[in-house]
Amino acid sequence: MKLMVCIGSSCHLKGSRQVVEQLQHLIAENDLKEKIDLGGTFCMGKCQQGVCVTLDNDFYSVTPETAEDFFKTEVMSRL
Amino acid sequence: MNNLCADIGYRSINHFGEELCGDHVDVIELEDHSTVAVLADGLGSGVKASILSTLTSKIISTMLAAGLSLEDCVETIAATLPICSERQVAYSTFTIIRVVASEEAEVIQYDNPNVLMFRDGKITDYPKTEMNIGGKKILQSRIRLQENDLFLAMSDGCPHAGIGDAYNFGWKEEDIAAYMEPISDVGYTAKTLSTILLDEVYGLYGGEPKDDATVLAVRIRRREPMNLLFGPPSNRDDCGMMMALFFSKEGKHIVCGGTTSTIVADYLGKPLIPSIDFVDPEIPPIATIEGVDLVTEGVITINRVLAYAKDHLAENESYQKWSYQKDGASLISKMLFEEATDINFFVGRAINPAHQNPDLPINFSIKMQLVTELSDCLKKMGKRIKVSYF
Repeated sequence: MKLMVCIGSSCHLKGSRQVVEQLQHLIAENDLKEKIDLGGTFCMGKCQQGVCVTLDNDFYSVTPETAEDFFKTEVMSRL
Repeated sequence: MNNLCADIGYRSINHFGEELCGDHVDVIELEDHSTVAVLADGLGSGVKASILSTLTSKIISTMLAAGLSLEDCVETIAATLPICSERQVAYSTFTIIRVVASEEAEVIQYDNPNVLMFRDGKITDYPKTEMNIGGKKILQSRIRLQENDLFLAMSDGCPHAGIGDAYNFGWKEEDIAAYMEPISDVGYTAKTLSTILLDEVYGLYGGEPKDDATVLAVRIRRREPMNLLFGPPSNRDDCGMMMALFFSKEGKHIVCGGTTSTIVADYLGKPLIPSIDFVDPEIPPIATIEGVDLVTEGVITINRVLAYAKDHLAENESYQKWSYQKDGASLISKMLFEEATDINFFVGRAINPAHQNPDLPINFSIKMQLVTELSDCLKKMGKRIKVSYF
């Protein structure tokens, strides 16, 4: 499964680093490194909704506060 | 003419408790492709020394620029400098390094510590001719230049560092040479080399310099072109033209901006691979595209590069950060400040609708402002800058 986080200017200012760090942590904690391919991407043209995240091409708007919920509800359910 | 050029940098520290520096450096570029750097050290410290050294360096650089002889300069200085009421002398020592067409250096020394010359990473002796002008003993040398030659001129505050404290007789010339030798041709800028030497001087004085101390470094290096692409063109149809012009340029290529790097990847037909390695928490990660030397985010990264550039021209305290760190801003700084001598900016004037959000501290005018300020800073570092807008 491909999980991409935008690291462009706008999303960076909205906290993409924290989102990436939380996702990295959650993936390691749940031992999912083999199943989830976490990567960065540049602007998706939806900066207003940042931090922009895609899960196998489906778009999600995530913030550092909602990252854990997003992981539990959207990511885990797809495994 | 050859493809060499002179990188000139200097720094001073003041006598402890003084607000003015009694040493003064003046650098001017002449129309005949020669550059003159003068380091003058006025007698004493504080206001008086500052006036003496400023007058001396300005008189020498201005007169030499006007094509007058060295004899005339020295006589003018002797006749002009005010006489010190305590010591009954008008006195300022000086060192002149004149680089002619990057082929020959003329070094003229009057009572300052010996100018150190490094060639191929080794301290090197050079012939000196003694002249007597107006009762002053002046040493003159002419040296054919090679790539990576380095000249270090100092005021006596440097070898006097640590007298009676760290060392009995101060920091000796051969010890200073041995200290600088290993880093003399590893790619540090003249500014950074003078900072490294002066930081050690400051340390030897225990943080309370008992004299003004100045280092002037002149480094002979090969011209190195560099190209930086920043932002998509205002008219999307110009993408192809902008890319073709950018990639036709000789030298390394840096691409800044998310959308910009997507356009570049399309143009080159190569994948854009962003990393998620946050080396510096405040700077977005870099990316890679085959065929591009460096790919970074845009405004935030360039903003940091500008901060580093301003510091490099002033106190140069952050060089330890950018010369080692691997985040986008540090990598760009290293390429622009250290590697490049001729920089072409390709600036796209497209307005990113997402950046017009009032909540964000980035917008179009800030971006244009960044380019203007950064190119001004780079010009002050002695680089040739060309900015093209699309």
